[in-house]
Amino acid sequence: MFAGLFSASVASATEAFPVQAGTVEFRQVSKCYGNHPVLKQIDLQVRAGEVLAVCGPSGSGKSTLIRLINQLETVSGGEIYVDGKPTSTLKGKALRDLRRHVGFVFQQFNLYAHLNALDNITLALTKVHGQLPHEAQKTALALLERVGLRDKAYHLPSQLSGGQQQRVAIARTLAAKPHIILFDEPTSALDPETIGEVLQVMRSLAHSGMTLIVVTHEMQFAREIADRVIFIDGGEILEQAAPEQFFTAPQHPRAQRFLQKVLNPLHAESREP
Amino acid sequence: MIANITVITDNLDYLLLGRTAQGEPGGVLLSVLMTLGAALLAFPGGIALACLAWRFKGWPRRVLFAWAEIIRGIPLIFVIFWLWFLLPMLTGADLPGAVTVTLALAWFTSASVMYSTLAAMGSLPKGQYEAALAGGFSSVQLLRWVLLPQALRNALPSYVGLLIALLKDTSLAFIVNVPELTTVAGQVNNRVQVYPAALFIFTGLVYYLLCTLLEHTVKRWQRRSLLAAK
Amino acid sequence: MHIHLDWAGVLTGQPAQWILSGFLTTVWVTVAGIVLATVLTVLLLALRLAGGAVGRGVVAVWVSLFRNTPLLVQLLFWYFAAWNLLPLGFRQYVNDDHAFSILPGDVWWFTPEFLSSAWALGLFTAAFLVEEIQAGLHAVAKGQIEAAKSQGFSELALFRWVLLPQGLRNAWQPVVGQYLNLMKLSSLATGIGFAELTYQTRQIESYNAHALEAFAVGSVLYLLLGLVMSLLFNAPVWWRAARQERTLARKEVQDDR
Repeated sequence: MFAGLFSASVASATEAFPVQAGTVEFRQVSKCYGNHPVLKQIDLQVRAGEVLAVCGPSGSGKSTLIRLINQLETVSGGEIYVDGKPTSTLKGKALRDLRRHVGFVFQQFNLYAHLNALDNITLALTKVHGQLPHEAQKTALALLERVGLRDKAYHLPSQLSGGQQQRVAIARTLAAKPHIILFDEPTSALDPETIGEVLQVMRSLAHSGMTLIVVTHEMQFAREIADRVIFIDGGEILEQAAPEQFFTAPQHPRAQRFLQKVLNPLHAESREP
Repeated sequence: MIANITVITDNLDYLLLGRTAQGEPGGVLLSVLMTLGAALLAFPGGIALACLAWRFKGWPRRVLFAWAEIIRGIPLIFVIFWLWFLLPMLTGADLPGAVTVTLALAWFTSASVMYSTLAAMGSLPKGQYEAALAGGFSSVQLLRWVLLPQALRNALPSYVGLLIALLKDTSLAFIVNVPELTTVAGQVNNRVQVYPAALFIFTGLVYYLLCTLLEHTVKRWQRRSLLAAK
Repeated sequence: MHIHLDWAGVLTGQPAQWILSGFLTTVWVTVAGIVLATVLTVLLLALRLAGGAVGRGVVAVWVSLFRNTPLLVQLLFWYFAAWNLLPLGFRQYVNDDHAFSILPGDVWWFTPEFLSSAWALGLFTAAFLVEEIQAGLHAVAKGQIEAAKSQGFSELALFRWVLLPQGLRNAWQPVVGQYLNLMKLSSLATGIGFAELTYQTRQIESYNAHALEAFAVGSVLYLLLGLVMSLLFNAPVWWRAARQERTLARKEVQDDR
């Protein structure tokens, strides 16, 4: 399936790390900034094709959790396995290989500011995956169509709204045909009325074979789309459950308090632990 | 090699002081004096012009910008030439060359100071200005108590750059034979002839030391005033 | 007080020829200086970015040296001191007349004065250009780099396709400013007897004492040259913006059909 994306030189790399199934496993993963621990001995298994929602208060380490998967941050202890293979020691070509097949959607979109929407998608296809320009353009146009922005193909990011930019960013990650897509609070920087268009694109991706790990505050999305919700606070996973159970009957007291604050802010207890 | 150094040491007092003993400041001393003189005129002047341009946004600002563009669009040496010929005509007096050059440097630099100050004022959050207006400040009070204190602090790195440029620009007095360091070094070179490398390397070194000294002094003063504010 | 201006004394005859010659000389030495400065800047940047600690150190010393000493002193050094350190054979070669020594407009470029001036201007300006481009690169949002990394770009590809294009865009106005400075600083070469525009205006002043007229014409020419250079260097920016607008307009029309 990836043959069309690889040029000869890339396919022959002995350290190639093409992600095939899309499973992720954290074993005793910890992360510290200096003396300050952000994640404490995390154990987590994500099945192939699963939609996992990650919630928690700010500073809980949830963004760090997913940034460790494609090594935008490096683990301080423990190991992360993608498709059963350890990733913490990956460097150079092997690391780039991993990143080529793990999509990442940023809170701030991070579209390439000097390129229009179409070129934002084709840049990695041509320069990283070695595709031919007209092939890449066909793929890109189809993806823009898929996210409903075909008519904005030649617009610069500065000429697009936040929601439109985020949809282009999602199209950009889809171009690499990833088996895992990581979302770091994809709607937190958007105006309320544009959140919906992005969530709908994300919903269309769910349960189509890709593993989605989504750090989010959008409880409705987590409730309706996710297969599993995990709650992180203080660098530890305090609760894991199916959405129905998590939202109606959370077990852990801190999870209960968090949900109260998020779902019923005007009446939540303001007592701090 | 030794001969190179003796050229410097033999002429050191001339390089450093020119003919100060005969009542004509020269050499490094004159360079420093011209820098200070021009700075004392250019910085307050430029800041005042910036306040004018900020306050009167219509024609006065346009005139000031046009003036600044013309001054900065011609080589500095031309500003010196203009004043060299116009000042005696306008004042009827025969000004010393060093004074003319200093005035020319001040004239030129004040345009840059105006731009830097305006940029610093413009980059302040609009809320500062609006809060003061809502509180009933007049323009002068606004400038004096709210905008300038912050703007000047933000513009300080830019000002230091302008001051260093000013120090280097005093070397242009060479073209009109005013006896600051570069001119004096050129005179020694004309007389001695065979050690140009030593002379001009020494000259460059003196400027280098003065410039870096200036930069460090201002940075240290800035750090100290930041600490004092805490 | 009445100042009598005689423009004919400056705009006709011998003075006019001097002015024209000086102007063209300024143009050519500016071009030579800009080319040299740009080439040096590319080398210095490559050295700084890929040369490790040693490379960074060398560039830091270069920048510090050339920025903290006056250009005039550097020029005097290159012309009076460094020139004489070149091999005698080369110097004699330059001093002889050659068929290729003249550029269009009757400008002698293969002379010690022209070569020293272009060299000094190039080295001096390169020190400033390096800092401007460095600042431009630094100003690129970190998110751009993260996005490229997360897509699997190598360091070199990231630099070539994401960091450099945006860094250059950020630095463009300051870079053009430095090029304009180079043009104005070429006036200092009058101090080594180089017959560019400033030299010629003083020549006129000593020829027929028409100082104010000569300076006025010289000032106008420098201002015009600056304007033309500004337009030329900003043309790519305008052209790109215009092309973006045309592309959008055309695509909208296509989609409407």
